[in-house]
Amino acid sequence: MADLLSILTQGANGLSAHRAAVQTAAHNIQNVNTEGYSRQRVDLEAMSPEYLRTNAYAGMGVTIGAITQSRDAFLERQIPASMSANAQYSAESQSLRSVVALNPDAKGGLADSMANFYSDLRLLGQFPSQPGLRAAVVGSARNLAYSFNRTAEGIAASRSGIDARVASNVQEANALGSRVAALNSQIVKSRATGGEPNDLLDERRKASDRLSALVGASPIPDADGNLNMALPNGMVFVSGDKAAKLSTAPDPANAGFVGVQITKVGSSTAESIASGGLGGEVRGFIDARDVTLKQSLDSLDTLAFDFANTLNTQHQSGFDLNGNAGQAVFNIGATSPGASSSISINAALVSDNTLLATSGSAAGVPGDSSNVLAMVATERTSLSGGTNAASTLAGIISAFGSRTREAAARADQEGSIASNLASLRESVAGVSLDEEIINMTKAQRAFDAVSKVISTADDMLNTLMSLR
Amino acid sequence: MRVTEKMMFQAGQVQTAAARERLEKATTELSSGKRITHAADDPAGSGILITSKISQQRYSTIQQVVGRAADELNIAEGVLGEVSNVMQRGRELAMQLGSSQFNGADRATSSNEVDGLLKTVIGLMNTEVGGRYIFGGTKDGTPPFDAAGVYSGDAGVRQVEIAPGVVENSSLRADIAIKGVGGGADVIQVLQDFATALRTNNVQGIQDALVGFDKGINQVSGARKDAGASLNILQTAEQVSMLSRDQMRIQIAGVAESDLIESASNLSLANTALEAALFATAKSFKLSLVDKL
Repeated sequence: MADLLSILTQGANGLSAHRAAVQTAAHNIQNVNTEGYSRQRVDLEAMSPEYLRTNAYAGMGVTIGAITQSRDAFLERQIPASMSANAQYSAESQSLRSVVALNPDAKGGLADSMANFYSDLRLLGQFPSQPGLRAAVVGSARNLAYSFNRTAEGIAASRSGIDARVASNVQEANALGSRVAALNSQIVKSRATGGEPNDLLDERRKASDRLSALVGASPIPDADGNLNMALPNGMVFVSGDKAAKLSTAPDPANAGFVGVQITKVGSSTAESIASGGLGGEVRGFIDARDVTLKQSLDSLDTLAFDFANTLNTQHQSGFDLNGNAGQAVFNIGATSPGASSSISINAALVSDNTLLATSGSAAGVPGDSSNVLAMVATERTSLSGGTNAASTLAGIISAFGSRTREAAARADQEGSIASNLASLRESVAGVSLDEEIINMTKAQRAFDAVSKVISTADDMLNTLMSLR
Repeated sequence: MRVTEKMMFQAGQVQTAAARERLEKATTELSSGKRITHAADDPAGSGILITSKISQQRYSTIQQVVGRAADELNIAEGVLGEVSNVMQRGRELAMQLGSSQFNGADRATSSNEVDGLLKTVIGLMNTEVGGRYIFGGTKDGTPPFDAAGVYSGDAGVRQVEIAPGVVENSSLRADIAIKGVGGGADVIQVLQDFATALRTNNVQGIQDALVGFDKGINQVSGARKDAGASLNILQTAEQVSMLSRDQMRIQIAGVAESDLIESASNLSLANTALEAALFATAKSFKLSLVDKL
């Protein structure tokens, strides 16, 4: 009697185990598209057998050993660094690719303006006293200054746009840091009660992956079950259930563009982090802003400064239509920083183009064009970089293009590695519908069979109960 | 390798997105005719494009400037040809009126024609082209000769750039060609002296004028030869500039413009690749146990 009743108990355990298997398969199926989800599986175990007096052990059915996740720690260790590198170069590449101010074939761009300026100077050289030609030179000089300004503004606007992205990423990183810290706390508590909080682990991994992609933080698991996160410079960002705070603040040493700061756990003081201390998208954005775009702008400033000074010097050695020594054509500061955004034409020339110093001597006014020819010759003058203005401009554009292409190539390379690793992880941890349907059917069949066992045991009990 | 649904969908997404990106790039390249829109498309080509565009405009402008200078020099040469004709007429008159067949009255009457010739020369030498007096040297804002034939221009010679860093004269020195500076004949003075000799019936003066006319004719002829030489240089430079400009155009096209056949071929290839990616993706989605049970 007692044994028959134990069969019923075993049957109940078996039903429960196979129901859990169906439930797990259903959970997997429902999360087939959930980002960061790792498939779960039910580990069934045979119950400890019962010793019979006949020196035999009778099986006691099945029970759930554990519900575990399919994960590959080896792969998962490699993924954060790969995601960080991919995000870094993708962000840099996309930021640089979106800059249109340095497009080589832009209509009315700096190259066109420079070509037009020298073209109008050449035309003036043929007839230096002609008012229309003088007006054209003044107009093209003004347009050239405006082109320098517009190009510099375009680069500055791109750099400012990157500032907004950095600030947005930092906000997201803070939210994720807090989330990882909170999940650490929940996971430690859950484990203390004996269970494995699989879905919380998935959520934490998803948050830490994104954190790696945003700021290059590396996950460092500890023995308590916490996932601590450290920035590339070693600064701790998440420690157990506490997260540091990142913030942005204008950096006066970097033309007011924002820098990233960290307020460590337990501190109230924000410390600056050098761009090298960060990784991921934020590093990519900052590199685009402070390396490539800054180099382009600095080179453009040097070009504007050298060009304007060379031309001004030549113009000032000539004589205007009134027989007076020439003035500066362009207003330019004493040093090159900011020259491309501040260069402008001398307003006196705009209001009176007879001030253009076309003649090489006062006696040669108005028909002498030797100073115009000398100004035309500045087109071939080597500037501070060792090349003339056109070649210098070409060099700036080429260097910018090379850096953008290099970032894109590295983004492709890192993207390929990251994609490969993600694929391998998905291969281990992802949900296969075919597999889950088979598992579910398998569990359903077992459930049906166990039901049959219960039914049989019940019949046997009825038989016993009906004995008279 | 274990393949999950997500892997299949991701592969489908990535492959079709990549195929669409290639198609979009091929379409843009074919429709715009450009292969460089961003410096990253071809960094070295972008630099070449910049310098070539500037060079193209440089040669185009040099061609334009040299063409204008040549036109002006051509006019100047033509004017000197007219002056030469006037001098020939003066010489003829000197030859005729220096003979004993003519009397004082005849000579006095003929002096009116010589006065007319003088005015013609002064008028010719005050030729204005596009608002400037081409024989005034650098003093080209006012007529270089007054009614008395006094020259107010200077010894300046205009120059134009015929190639980067190379200049050529584009004007003639009227002080030498007409006024005889540097030991030549003052053409106007020759005419004035001839007219005076006719009015005063100074036969010796008339005969002496012949020497002046010969010298003046040679002098003007020399100036015309100089103009012709410069004109040849300018015309050659114009041709060279035009060729250089066209060469730059070809270079720009080679660097920045897409090859039509290659672009069309790329478009076709990208189209086929997209179709294949869509087909493969659709096929892989169909094969699932969900549909079989």
